[in-house]
Amino acid sequence: MGSSVTARGPVTPSMNITPLIDVVFLLIIFFMLVNNIVSDESVEMVLPDLEPPHTRELGEVNRVVVNVAPKPFTAQGRADFPLEHAGQARFVKVGTGAGSEFAVEDTQGITAALAAMREANPDLQVLLRADAALFYDQVRPVMGAVTAAGIQTVNLVAYLPEQ
Amino acid sequence: MPSTLPPETDPEHHAHAPPRRRRASRGPAHVGSLNLTSMIDVIFQLLIYFVVTASFMVNEGVLAAKLPQGSAAASTDDELPPEVITLKLTSGDDPAEIAIERGAFVYASFAELEADLDRQRYDPDIGQIDGLYPADSPVVIQADGKARWQHLVAAFNAAVGAQYTNVRFSEN
Repeated sequence: MGSSVTARGPVTPSMNITPLIDVVFLLIIFFMLVNNIVSDESVEMVLPDLEPPHTRELGEVNRVVVNVAPKPFTAQGRADFPLEHAGQARFVKVGTGAGSEFAVEDTQGITAALAAMREANPDLQVLLRADAALFYDQVRPVMGAVTAAGIQTVNLVAYLPEQ
Repeated sequence: MPSTLPPETDPEHHAHAPPRRRRASRGPAHVGSLNLTSMIDVIFQLLIYFVVTASFMVNEGVLAAKLPQGSAAASTDDELPPEVITLKLTSGDDPAEIAIERGAFVYASFAELEADLDRQRYDPDIGQIDGLYPADSPVVIQADGKARWQHLVAAFNAAVGAQYTNVRFSEN
């Protein structure tokens, strides 16, 4: 016999899903914001792949990421042949936000931007993210610009060893 | 004489007011409900999209390097300058090709370079006393302009892996 039939008719089960929607909205907002911040800081590129890598994690420090972005790739199969590239840089991005992109030749602009950041934050650590396929003569002026800002060490970014 | 009754009960006042709607039934008030299923579907799709596309730079690490002009510390005159290990990288026609030299020594790979640098290190703590270079000897990486960044970082990585602490790039 149907047990859900009462004197007032069948009962329709219902669930209060308001808190679920609240949590899911918060998650969406979190991932949207984090995605934007992270993608603004790290330009898409293929980092040097080392065998075996002796890289380490930097931890929580005051950092600025200097990206040396490659020109778009025309050859297919970047994953298989990461060095098949003209080796030219497209732009240099210092930190995040508007006005953080510089031409590779604009070493004075890069120096000025880094010097201003260092002024505000003397123990600033510089992370140099450059594509594996870039020619050294594209990266060297950027390192020179970092030096000119009074910064003596730089952290070269590469992949971490696999756990 | 003006009426003293409140406006609701005043028959005159009532006559000018718009007619009130009456509830059709005298039963309990009907609670309006909204079908949220489709909205939740869409929200979950969005959530899955953002979770999948999120990248947190989790697989990136760093190698601390001294910059070309960074080691401007004045050396004292009363001790000999340390022996410098110069690694020379020369690019070839093939992007993946690189010649690795240290003085007269030529290496076929960066793994070979790392093993040799490790062997050349003077380290009495582990009984390695026939090495020529203490761990704080400067290692200078010299490369031509067409060498790929991958190879420079690989040479750097080899020196760091061989436990040298003072690795930098050449000025020219």
